[in-house]
Amino acid sequence: MPGEALEIAARSLAISGTATLLSSTWSIVLAYMLARSPRASRLLVPFLEALVGIPTVLVGLLLYLLLSSQGPLGMFRLLYTPKAIVVGQAILITPLITSVAYRVLTHSWSMYGELALALGAAERQAARLVFSESLPGLAAAVVMGFSRAFGELGVALMVGGNIRGYTRVITTAIALEVSRGEFGLALSLGAMLVAILVLVSLTLRFLGRLRER
Amino acid sequence: MRAAIELRGVWHTYPGSRRWALEGVDLEIREGRILAVVGPNGSGKTTMLKLAGTLYRPTRGTVRLWGSDFWASDGSQRLRLRRLVVYVHEKPVLVRGTALHNVAYGLLLRGYPPEEALERARSVMERMGVAGLASRERGQLSAGEAQLVSILRAVAAEPRVLLLDEPTAHLDLEKRRRLASLLRELRDRGMGVVVATHDYLLARRVADEAVVLEEGRIRVRGPPGRVLEV
Ligand SMILES: Nc1ncnc2c1ncn2[C@@H]1O[C@H](COP(=O)(O)OP(=O)(O)OP(=O)(O)O)[C@@H](O)[C@H]1O
Ligand SMILES: [Mg+2]
Repeated sequence: MPGEALEIAARSLAISGTATLLSSTWSIVLAYMLARSPRASRLLVPFLEALVGIPTVLVGLLLYLLLSSQGPLGMFRLLYTPKAIVVGQAILITPLITSVAYRVLTHSWSMYGELALALGAAERQAARLVFSESLPGLAAAVVMGFSRAFGELGVALMVGGNIRGYTRVITTAIALEVSRGEFGLALSLGAMLVAILVLVSLTLRFLGRLRER
Repeated sequence: MRAAIELRGVWHTYPGSRRWALEGVDLEIREGRILAVVGPNGSGKTTMLKLAGTLYRPTRGTVRLWGSDFWASDGSQRLRLRRLVVYVHEKPVLVRGTALHNVAYGLLLRGYPPEEALERARSVMERMGVAGLASRERGQLSAGEAQLVSILRAVAAEPRVLLLDEPTAHLDLEKRRRLASLLRELRDRGMGVVVATHDYLLARRVADEAVVLEEGRIRVRGPPGRVLEV
């Protein structure tokens, strides 16, 4: 089992890591656009904030309906693949990353964007300064997104299917062990999950410190 | 002489606010002159300077820079005009890096080679007697030191009009005196300077003209000796 546990952990990391990278790219771009257009943000941001806690099974269910063989995207044959989990988790964490990044970028724009313009920057130079000064906050948004993706069960179960050696991730493994009454095993998987989350967060923090120098 | 910056019938309100921060302001800012803007808290000094510095778009009215309607201009024209005017925030904001890097920052944005930008920044800091701060990181500066760095950053960029918002709030008496002499020197070299301030002593020391704002309107304008009665 230790060998299998490591393999499951590696798969979880790969799937949720990919989902987080994917989601971060569009979420941060969207957040920047919202931070630059007060009118659109007044409508969209409350909506996004409300969706931060959307139940994972609901996202899983909607994606299942889209991907199942009779669904509109059925022809891609993505159901019960790691790719399906990646897509589902990326969607799941989009409201979280976008709304946190939006706060960070709005604050940063009001200080550094305005400063850059006051000093004669082009819009692009101002954006570069804003992003560079926002990196710690954006990193925090990404870590939160990763944490939610890594720890979610609903999407992985519904569109991944918990197939051994293929789509089984830490959380679906925990659910399985619990259903089998293997509480000790479930708990140690849980401990591993938390340890990985903490490690990822600390690593990013460390990288941030290096940059400050 | 044509005004460098001209506000005509400018009204401004902040998003989400129901009050006018400025109500029908007309103002001319000229090169080679120092204009003092005084008035109580909340009277609209910062708002007016940021409008003149093109950081805000007026809700109504026009802002002309050297004759061009700024907000009707295209992107490249706006950038060209914006580079002639620098606004200094009342609360200093410094970018990551040393004080010297900060003072050079406006020149770096204008595409100066780093060595030349740093060289010029150093000489501006020397002129103000603060060359000793050059290698300090932004987190290691006192409030007054940070304010000086943010003023010198604007001066180093050599704008044609310099807009200073409450520049002496954190400065000691000696630095205030030096700032006054620096501003007069810049004016004599042809720069236009606007100082929004509660520091009447500074205003009377340097200004050629003064305006008093109250509740978003210009109430009085004229020679500082008459306008700035204590
Ligand atoms: N970001 C903002 N949002 C809403 N209202 C604002 C904002 N900034 C300023 N105001 C309002 O606009 C008016 C003018 O403010 P402004 O900052 O221009 O005053 P000021 O003369 O610079 O004051 P001070 O001497 O305190 O610096 C005030 O009534 C203020 O409440
Ligand atoms: Mg003010």
